[in-house]
Amino acid sequence: MYLKIVLLKARAIGALSRLLGQGSGVVIAGRFILKFSPNSVRKLAANKRVVLISGTNGKSTTARLIAEALKTKYTVAHNHTGANLFAGIAAALGANPKAEVAVLEVDELVLPWAIKETRPELVVLLNLGRDQLDRLSEVRIVTNRWRAALGGQRVLASTDDPFVVHAANAAAEQIWFSASEKGHIDAATCPECGKLLNWEDGGANYWCHCGFNKPDANWTLRGEILNHKFKVSSAIPGNAALQNAARALIVADQFGIDLDAANKAIGAVHAVDGRFANLKIGETNFRLLLSKNPASWRETLATSSLGPKDVLLVVNANTQDGKDTSWLWDVDFRVLKGRRVLISGDRKVDVAARLTVDGVEHQVVDNEIEASRIFGEVDADIIASYTAFHRLANK
Amino acid sequence: MIKIVNLLPELLGTYGDQGNVATLSWRLTQRGIDNQIIHASAQESLPDDGDFYFLGGGEDDAQIASVELLRRDNVLERALANGAHLFAVCAGFQLLGNSFPASGERTIEGLGILPVITESAAKRSVGELLSESTIGIGQLTGFENHAGQTRFVEKLQPLGIVNKGIGNHEKEECDGAITDQIIATYMHGPALVRNPRLADFFLSRKLGPLSELSESVDAVFTELHASCVARALR
Repeated sequence: MYLKIVLLKARAIGALSRLLGQGSGVVIAGRFILKFSPNSVRKLAANKRVVLISGTNGKSTTARLIAEALKTKYTVAHNHTGANLFAGIAAALGANPKAEVAVLEVDELVLPWAIKETRPELVVLLNLGRDQLDRLSEVRIVTNRWRAALGGQRVLASTDDPFVVHAANAAAEQIWFSASEKGHIDAATCPECGKLLNWEDGGANYWCHCGFNKPDANWTLRGEILNHKFKVSSAIPGNAALQNAARALIVADQFGIDLDAANKAIGAVHAVDGRFANLKIGETNFRLLLSKNPASWRETLATSSLGPKDVLLVVNANTQDGKDTSWLWDVDFRVLKGRRVLISGDRKVDVAARLTVDGVEHQVVDNEIEASRIFGEVDADIIASYTAFHRLANK
Repeated sequence: MIKIVNLLPELLGTYGDQGNVATLSWRLTQRGIDNQIIHASAQESLPDDGDFYFLGGGEDDAQIASVELLRRDNVLERALANGAHLFAVCAGFQLLGNSFPASGERTIEGLGILPVITESAAKRSVGELLSESTIGIGQLTGFENHAGQTRFVEKLQPLGIVNKGIGNHEKEECDGAITDQIIATYMHGPALVRNPRLADFFLSRKLGPLSELSESVDAVFTELHASCVARALR
């Protein structure tokens, strides 16, 4: 009874926060729930089949696609605004206490807590890679925390990523997924024993003398085809989105949903929380892309290179972006050659130095308004780091 | 042909470190000096005939694997005996010393090329690092991110006197070390991108005086240096 009152009040606080223009109200509502009912997540999750999604990149997109697929058969609670810490999870469950299923994206370091509190039916482990090293942990610390938390769990895990495999090996049951990815920038050493990891077949396979190796996949994605027969549909551009759509299909299969129905629901999603959304500034039709770390920049640059010729890079280095811009040198920007490249953001000079050494012609501008004056009436991409992306997505 | 050897980039390249070798190469190319970068990976034998060597930053396991590989080949001792110059950052700096710490309260024996030891500290040093160089090239700017703290066990010249940040050790107020052939530092950023004068100083110690890059060519790096110094002082 008490929890019900807390949830009602939390909802009112969230609505008030929205009304006052203080953002989505999700985090403040969640904090209220946790403050007045610390066990609320456990209670709210108890009557639900819970899917948790975590990893360095792709959490929001994968969670959204899974939610859409599961909605074809169930009522679903989902943290759709991307709030993936304690409060965001509490708020998502509190906003929809009667839902049959909960699909929750979870920050990598919050995952152990989320597993303990929600007792999930399935944990989807995407990938682990270097990310904002000034404030987050090194990859090996994260994989070991996951490993310690996964005992007794059932996971959908990527065989392509040795850190995910290391963690997932501790689970009670694994559904292995491979997207036929090759190599891993952070996995020169074995996650289990620390010795050099042996990479073979151009990065398609890895093994270590200690016995650690790449598991055989139950589900394999090659191009758009899952397990040699099923064509995955994705309306979101890029290879990463296709992989996440495949994961959503596998989860739907686990929940007894017809794959064609799930595929249709997944293929109807065009943009997730501002990613790939359209933004008209001046006469320019911008498409907004988020990039957060070296792996996501590589993916985004590849996806963008299939798009318009004109591109604006916006890089900040606030707390949520990571304050150290060294990572710029982990990304090969030469794929931008031949495009019209403009740069803005707090760290435009860092980016200009990077592109200079890579031999990519570019021009530094004050902001997206000046960029639109230069671009004129064309389609163009904006690739933005976290805080710049969220400022633009809220325009 | 000038050879720049990037040692074990897959192990010691966690913090954008290859930006240092890319920048060295770029600054030579702008002056019309032929050069090549050799990314010497763990799977290959490491060359000892390079002109410039570079060691970057990495996590514990990678640092330990690196020290084992470098000791097996003695590549750095041989290269230095051949007259090469070495630039080392963070984990690369630590492994040149007598010892460094690793997870599980282990102490790992270093290469013993620099008379320093690194010990674990209560608090990780993370943030902008600003120092006044001891080699007359003004202020040096970088971003430090290290768990260990390093002190000299013999007399050694630091690279910079710290104005902002921690540097080698919370009680020492200096960053890095410099010998006839080695420059070591805790500055990521990467250091040779943010500090173009340090890059040229490093190159000229081996190659002799270099022609000045034109102002327009070097402008973006000069501006980057100034903006990083200003940010550290804010």
